[in-house]
Amino acid sequence: MGYKQIFNVLLGLVLIVTAVGASCAFASDPPPEGGAESVAVRLYLTDGSIPANDPNAAAWDALQPAEFKLAPQVHWPDRIQEVTVKSVKVRGMHNGQEMAILLEYADQSEDAADAAAIEFMVGDKMAHFAHGQEMLQVEGGEVNIWYWKKEQGKATDMSAKGFKTLRAQENQNVSATGAWQEGTWRVVFSRPLQTGDEHDVQITPGEWRNVAFAFWDGEIVDGAVKERGSQKAVSSWWYVRAEPPPDNSIYGYVVLGIALAAGFEFFLVRKIRRGNES
Amino acid sequence: MKGPLAKTVILLVGMYVFLKFILPLFTAPLPASLIFLYLALTLASAMIFYTMSGGSLDEFMGPIGRFLTGTGQTGIAGTARILVFVLFPLLVGWQTYTRLAPSDMPPAENRTIHPAPPGEFVGLANPYPRTPENVMMGKGLYAAFCSPCHGANFDGKGPAAVGFNPPPANFSDPGTIAQLQESYLFWRIKKGGVGLPVEAMPWKSAMPRWEVELPDEWIWKIIMGEYDGAGQSPRTWEEEE
Ligand code: HEC
Repeated sequence: MGYKQIFNVLLGLVLIVTAVGASCAFASDPPPEGGAESVAVRLYLTDGSIPANDPNAAAWDALQPAEFKLAPQVHWPDRIQEVTVKSVKVRGMHNGQEMAILLEYADQSEDAADAAAIEFMVGDKMAHFAHGQEMLQVEGGEVNIWYWKKEQGKATDMSAKGFKTLRAQENQNVSATGAWQEGTWRVVFSRPLQTGDEHDVQITPGEWRNVAFAFWDGEIVDGAVKERGSQKAVSSWWYVRAEPPPDNSIYGYVVLGIALAAGFEFFLVRKIRRGNES
Repeated sequence: MKGPLAKTVILLVGMYVFLKFILPLFTAPLPASLIFLYLALTLASAMIFYTMSGGSLDEFMGPIGRFLTGTGQTGIAGTARILVFVLFPLLVGWQTYTRLAPSDMPPAENRTIHPAPPGEFVGLANPYPRTPENVMMGKGLYAAFCSPCHGANFDGKGPAAVGFNPPPANFSDPGTIAQLQESYLFWRIKKGGVGLPVEAMPWKSAMPRWEVELPDEWIWKIIMGEYDGAGQSPRTWEEEE
């Protein structure tokens, strides 16, 4: 038996070991930072219609909520040191066409100026969570903000890229409905997953997107609205993903992998046997 | 085009085209590492098929060859052989599964916490003397501007700290400002989260860009107050060498 054969056998074995080793290494990703609270909102996939305008639909209660803590906005002026909304429970659904997100949070009083907003990064460029504020070493992208205010009774679809650039979009694609009951607001936002508007976040099932939240308590204290403008409760970026449809092709690939490995064994043994016989 | 080499190449190209372009027409695309694994298996099989013709492979492989062919095996050796033959395909199958199984975890984040500062901030010295008055003034400014996030006790647990990911730095932890020079802090406080380079994920940081609100003098004094209050001292130039 020549060196060539020896070389080939060794090469084959080395390749296999490398391949198995490499895929082991790729398989183990470290967990994200962030601790015990939720890190992501899951938009559960359902077959039928989604309760796009009903914050109290029974379907919502079947879903496991994500929960995020909120901070008073002390990042830039005008700051606020104490806010009403301290955390929010978030549930989501989609049916492949439409999506809806339900925000549930405590607020003792129902006021005309109560408001809630969901913010998304748009496209592939990273955007700072504070209204897509300018970054100094990275070219940032735009954010899409869905804003609901009790007294308006609807959602406004907005865009921002930096402070003082917040504006309502030409194409309004978002709707929202709020219901207050015994100290709890439930506000549902809905929209098609895809809108074709470059200023909107486009949600593709299976893809991770960045999301953040903000809330204003519109209670009148000493003749003025308590929380307004930049004085609000905020979060920084978390993740959201529309659940992809179940994928059974994975089992096909498992069978393919097993067949390839078995074929390899078969050829190996057969060749060695042939070699021994001759 | 009849040689074993040409056939192997055609087989591999065919396999690649199949895995990469044809299968995704029907199902989800396969990750690169799995395509690599499958191609490696195909290549190894082809090499064995075409190149290991006859010869005394036994001489070379010796016990391995006898083990694989099962010549004259009984008892434990025979069982071990079957085990190996069953386990190897299962290992490949398991690898395939773990690579493809849908994950509910968001993408892993490898944020660099202490990236290199821009050149103009390297090696700056605090121009203000460490007098009790200056330290005191720094602590007062810290209480006003920084404590809502970084905490009155310098522990990163201010009332506004929750809700931010990453959380505000804990200055009493020896892993933060004790590792850093004053010039580094000057950069971080002046330019804030938005001043970070891409590997530090500036879009996630809630650290304000203080240069728009505070004069340099205040920032240098805050640095003094911060080290003093946290019971840490800055890393100096001598330690660097
Ligand atoms: C809105 C909350 C907030 C406020 C207010 C704030 N910071 Fe921060 N700070 C952060 C966060 C979040 C981080 C961690 C992310 C980062 O490194 O950018 C941080 C990081 C830092 C770091 C980097 C520490 C390290 O180990 O790299 C320094 C230094 C710092 N802050 C100083 C200050 C000073 C001084 C003030 C007051 C003038 C201040 N911060 C006010 C949120 C805040």
